[in-house]
Amino acid sequence: MLKNITLGQYFPGDSFIHRLDPRTKLLATVALIAIVFVAQGFSGFLLIAAFVVACAASTGIHLKFLVRGLKPIMFIIIFTFVLNLFFQTEGRELVHWGFIRITDQGLRMASFMAMRLILLVVSSQLLTLTTSPIALTDGLESLFRPLEVIHFPAHEIAMMMSIALRFIPTLMDEADKIMKAQKARGANFETGNLIQRAKAMVPLLVPLFVGAFRRAEDLALAMDARCYRGGAGRTRMKQLKFGVIDAIAAVAMLLLLAGVIALNKLNLF
Amino acid sequence: MPIEVKKLTHVYMPGTPFESRALNAVSLSIQDGEFVGIIGHTGSGKSTLITHLNGLEKSEPGVVFVNGMDLGEKGADLIAIRRVVGLVFQYPEYQLFEETVAKDVAFGPTNLGLDADEIKRRVEHALKQVGLDPAEVSEKSPFELSGGQKRRVAIAGVLAMQPGILILDEPAAGLDPMGRREMFDLIRGIHDSGTTVVMVSHSMDDVGRLCDRLFVLNRGEIAYTGTPAEVFVHDNRLHAIGLDVPECAKLARRLREAGFDMPEGIYRTEDVCAAIIGNLSGGK
Repeated sequence: MLKNITLGQYFPGDSFIHRLDPRTKLLATVALIAIVFVAQGFSGFLLIAAFVVACAASTGIHLKFLVRGLKPIMFIIIFTFVLNLFFQTEGRELVHWGFIRITDQGLRMASFMAMRLILLVVSSQLLTLTTSPIALTDGLESLFRPLEVIHFPAHEIAMMMSIALRFIPTLMDEADKIMKAQKARGANFETGNLIQRAKAMVPLLVPLFVGAFRRAEDLALAMDARCYRGGAGRTRMKQLKFGVIDAIAAVAMLLLLAGVIALNKLNLF
Repeated sequence: MPIEVKKLTHVYMPGTPFESRALNAVSLSIQDGEFVGIIGHTGSGKSTLITHLNGLEKSEPGVVFVNGMDLGEKGADLIAIRRVVGLVFQYPEYQLFEETVAKDVAFGPTNLGLDADEIKRRVEHALKQVGLDPAEVSEKSPFELSGGQKRRVAIAGVLAMQPGILILDEPAAGLDPMGRREMFDLIRGIHDSGTTVVMVSHSMDDVGRLCDRLFVLNRGEIAYTGTPAEVFVHDNRLHAIGLDVPECAKLARRLREAGFDMPEGIYRTEDVCAAIIGNLSGGK
């Protein structure tokens, strides 16, 4: 039950993408999302898809983990596809059957929408699969640092995020242990109606919350004991530095953008 | 034969980069009324092994048997298994959740579908078994008790299901010396009242003092099995796999190497004391 949560799952590795600066990866992901919306024809989408697939293949991560990440949003993809298919009435009619009318424009829009969604999810998944949570929050903090002049709490938010990410596996572990302990006492989490199941969660949630508060208190004390005073004047052990590979990644993104714009202009198909 | 395990293998997260083999063809059998110790250092697979013994982890059919029930069989009656095998996890006090001690201890028996009178009787009995006064603690919140008392309440929660076999994972972890002694007295009392006890630990001192028979786990395999005396003979090998023999066994060995007349395989404080006294009086 707890095993199929892939949130923030990181796959260690040493590929080109793994070694990129987290800021590069964050910006590249944002850029990729933008490019996905720039594309206006199948040729453009094919180019982006080829790029994403090439990136995914270079990381050495098994395709099955990327596909697994798509599962939760499969419903949304199908829903938007169907919606676009049926309610786009412009264009040449392909099928007319009772009140259902499918046009070539509708089919085109629906497929674009589905492809956009899939590319969005897969590319952001590539980010989280190749970047450790800590590197990710470091990157975010560094990117948001300029906003501190308008009192945006970049450091605090990044710290909260890294603590939260740090404790997700710990709490899942703990939930698993408590669940086993209560099962050993005959608790039943799997069957029963909705109310029974909600009630069955009490023996799991109460100890989990008590434990989370205990951990939070311990963590606060430990941070205090090491003189944590917030972000001001804090130096870091691992300095983020852009390197040659980041420049290569930037060029690759620019080339991709140029390619998509060119394909839009050519208006192939 | 109450517990019988035949070539149990357990792999965590197979097919991912995190794949790890926790147990590898482990076979063991435990008789009624035994007091058995399972020892191994962190990550040796001892916790995985015990979760198989009451069906929390499911094995293949024909691998784990408890009182003749095949735990790996499809549709095995899990409640029936948990009625027979009580499992007390490490730091069991973190599983407490009810408003009062009595309600928390009653959680197990309630899940077994017993009637209210029987539950009340069992709760009182279980609290007495762990050395708590039912009249005093029953209506208290488990969260206002001390750490040692919380653990006792948690153990009572499992005892109230009246299992014939009780498995405890590191029951004395994090307790002070006094608390440890009391905990072991309590467990010995439970064993003396006719319950089969399986205790998991990494402390040779503790299992050596209490258990009739030991299983030494190393990297998911059983390295040694036998009575404590039989196991402690392999002290060099045990040391190499990150375990130690009791302090008294070490002392006896050093004395023997120094030329004193110490019998092989003694490890209990009393036996070693007697041997030393024998040497001293014999030398005069």
